[in-house]
Amino acid sequence: MDMVMTKAVQSAATPVPGCQIFSNAYFPQSRLEGRRMGNDEDELGAALRACAAGDRAGLATIYRSEAARMVTIAHRILRRHDLAEEIVQEAFLQIWNKAWQYDPSRGSARGWIFAVVRSRSLNALRDGGRVDLADAESIERLQDEGADTLYTDLFDQLDTASRLRACLARLDGLRRKTVLMAYVSGYSHGEIAGRLKLPLGTAKAWIRRSLSALRECMA
Amino acid sequence: MSTWHTPTERADAYVLGLMDEHDRRAMDAELESDPVLARAVGEARDRFLELDLVGPTVTVSADLWSRIEARLGGAGKPESAELLPPAANDNRLVRWRAIAMSAVAASALLVAALGYTTMTRLEPQVVAILMNAEGEPVVMIEDFGNDTAKVVPLIDLAVADDRSLQLWTLPSADTGPVSLGVLDGWETATVSGPDLPRPAEEQLYEITVEPLGGSPTGKPTGPIIGKGFAKAPRP
Repeated sequence: MDMVMTKAVQSAATPVPGCQIFSNAYFPQSRLEGRRMGNDEDELGAALRACAAGDRAGLATIYRSEAARMVTIAHRILRRHDLAEEIVQEAFLQIWNKAWQYDPSRGSARGWIFAVVRSRSLNALRDGGRVDLADAESIERLQDEGADTLYTDLFDQLDTASRLRACLARLDGLRRKTVLMAYVSGYSHGEIAGRLKLPLGTAKAWIRRSLSALRECMA
Repeated sequence: MSTWHTPTERADAYVLGLMDEHDRRAMDAELESDPVLARAVGEARDRFLELDLVGPTVTVSADLWSRIEARLGGAGKPESAELLPPAANDNRLVRWRAIAMSAVAASALLVAALGYTTMTRLEPQVVAILMNAEGEPVVMIEDFGNDTAKVVPLIDLAVADDRSLQLWTLPSADTGPVSLGVLDGWETATVSGPDLPRPAEEQLYEITVEPLGGSPTGKPTGPIIGKGFAKAPRP
């Protein structure tokens, strides 16, 4: 199965000679990191419209402001840096080709862009299987422990004024964790049940009710 | 049986990747044509988005952008080239012969399947009422399935002198939007487009404002005047 995924991810990676408008120096690492949600939503919407019109500067704008976050999203799900970058590379091609589909009345530009990464990452996971991604069970266990800290850290780092934070805080710790495991790491019901040692039906019910409580709380 | 019932419940499950393959595929299909569900998905994405914006970021390889650029190929949109109208002196006969042959074959099948009478009556295969952002009907499109479509404006609209209106349809997500023609003005008119598959129910139609003479890229670039999904008239 691992072979299948590796092939799928790499087959598209054949370099094609093209015009190199932007050199690497155009994207200093410092600009790629640490960018938080600002009021650049308009800028991203405009960048998507530019992509739809065939203007590559639009894609470069998205890369400059979002690439580091996009690789991070893929990495949290796939836990492998090389795969995460392959996914983001594919995601940028998809964004370029499908930017015309973005409709601002159906959510934010950033949400749309990140959804491309999330969906490609989850597909790669389904095709490849999570077990294949970790070299050994021990590595996976270490990574799970790392993820435990990550969930707490992410929750703690949400802005204190954030509705999401306030509403997640209303859930008890374990239920909150089921939601974060699903969203941040892309775990399935079965994986969440297994890792938390819960019966599958219980895990499903917790997640379903937690999501419903979050929707009501955030409405 | 599915665990997810209401549109918002399904949107959450979809966004979090909790659906099984069957439900996910069904959802993908419905999202093409169900604006309520599509909006619920957008809202679900935005509800959780902040989690993607906190925590440390990983380091991105310095050459990632050049890898993306290399995959994009030369300047411009490669896939839109196919959709641009061919130059008048285009002499790639082989290509045209192939298209003509396949069109002949397709027509023959269609005649066989539908019977001659249906084909001779000029009735639209599908009708789409395009709505503006406020949900008002703006224009009616009747697609006759013979690469012509009738455009019937339903409201008054002033178009700037230096702009054109262009009618698009989306035969499939793979092809992307295809131009059915540039409108000469805001009046009832018939336009002719390229060879397309027979229009189907739920096919998307839209009219956009473009630079004079039509979109320079072969894809919609300007604001949407109206969009809507096709329905087939019931006998």
